[in-house]
Amino acid sequence: MNIVDAIKLFFLFIVATVFHWAFASLFAHWGISVNTLLVFVAAFCALLKLPVAYSAAFLGGLFLDFFGTKLFGNNAFTFTVCACVICNLAPRFDFDELFPQMVAVFGLTWLAGICNALLVYLFASASAWPGFWSLLGGAFVDCLCAPLVFWLVRRVMGSSLLIRQV
Amino acid sequence: MNTPKRPISFKRYTGHYRRRYLLPAGFLLASFLLMILPLEGWVASVKAVLAYVFIPQVRASHSTVQYAQGVSQTVQELLRAHQENDQLKQQIQATQLLSAQAQEILAENQRLTGLLKLDVSHPWKGVWAKVAYREPTQWNSVVLDKGSADGIKPRSAVIAMQEGQEGLAGVVVEVTENTSKVLLVQDEDFSAAVQLGRGGETGLLVGDGPRPVQIKYVPLLSNVQKGDPVYTSSASSVFPAGILVGQVHAVRKPDSFQTALTVEVNPQVPSSAVREVFVILEN
Repeated sequence: MNIVDAIKLFFLFIVATVFHWAFASLFAHWGISVNTLLVFVAAFCALLKLPVAYSAAFLGGLFLDFFGTKLFGNNAFTFTVCACVICNLAPRFDFDELFPQMVAVFGLTWLAGICNALLVYLFASASAWPGFWSLLGGAFVDCLCAPLVFWLVRRVMGSSLLIRQV
Repeated sequence: MNTPKRPISFKRYTGHYRRRYLLPAGFLLASFLLMILPLEGWVASVKAVLAYVFIPQVRASHSTVQYAQGVSQTVQELLRAHQENDQLKQQIQATQLLSAQAQEILAENQRLTGLLKLDVSHPWKGVWAKVAYREPTQWNSVVLDKGSADGIKPRSAVIAMQEGQEGLAGVVVEVTENTSKVLLVQDEDFSAAVQLGRGGETGLLVGDGPRPVQIKYVPLLSNVQKGDPVYTSSASSVFPAGILVGQVHAVRKPDSFQTALTVEVNPQVPSSAVREVFVILEN
């Protein structure tokens, strides 16, 4: 990885956290559980090479874990599972098209929500289930953000060597 | 003519294998270890290291969002300004009339306050803070935009306003220089000594997730009724006495073997309503 790619990735990670912070704070007023960081992770996994994709997913998860009070590592685990799913789907789906992007992100939001709730229940005996409607609303907002995020990641990374050749 | 397939080299195969399976397996194992280890000690050290990496990012995110909100508000205000200008001109005329009456009422109020020796000042010293972040999957904890730099310490009581009435919102559990994490009343890990407003019985308030919070160990023969106010008790070492916690929602019928009542309480400040809070620094 050259220095320019590293700066680009760092920039994207900053943008992802800013978007996540903004959207999570905004939609929390309506009780909607938006997870924009997951959308960025999906885009990284669909477009970038496997080592970068998995590392970004793990780091993104740790970022969210940083705010948790009950358990540490659950989001890192969930995001890595999501990364495995997308990395394995990427050769079979055309993630340059809007529909596969949106469907994948919609599904991932549910997977992450359920996986996270289960982990918190199992390891911390607490409830992290945001509720059906909250998660549905979040999945809907996430999948609307997906085309923009995928476009941004592709645009910023350009013809970088980190882009996966399928 | 078919060209014979070139066999994959061992080095290339192991490289592919490593990327495809070993890397995610390693990350999954690392996160699993982080989950099973106790939050103190080693995990706390990891968190402390991450704080150095993530806190500048969190601050940058928070500042950007606040700036964006400021820009959006300014534009909205400009659009509204013209419309409000006409309305205000009319209101000024009405206000001038009311002002004369208000002066008289104010003077009377000051006179009566002096007579009754009322202390209208707030009984606690503290700092106002805004909810900067609400992690999507952690509904019962919030991150505030102020931290140790503003004097906030762990185990500080947090109150919030709801419908013009102050109520207990939670307790500070973690503090960094510019942020602090608050465990809200509805969280399962939250507990506080409370007192029922009418009868004066004490009990232990515990959160119960999305369900109404509960007061345990209320004496069996207590006369608790729906709507009774619940306040923090002077027995609590964390919360100052007399903060409204909520109203009694229901009293669970005790089983024959039970020696105490369990009372369900609707919190005065539900988790979703926590926006701006007052962190009590000195009780």
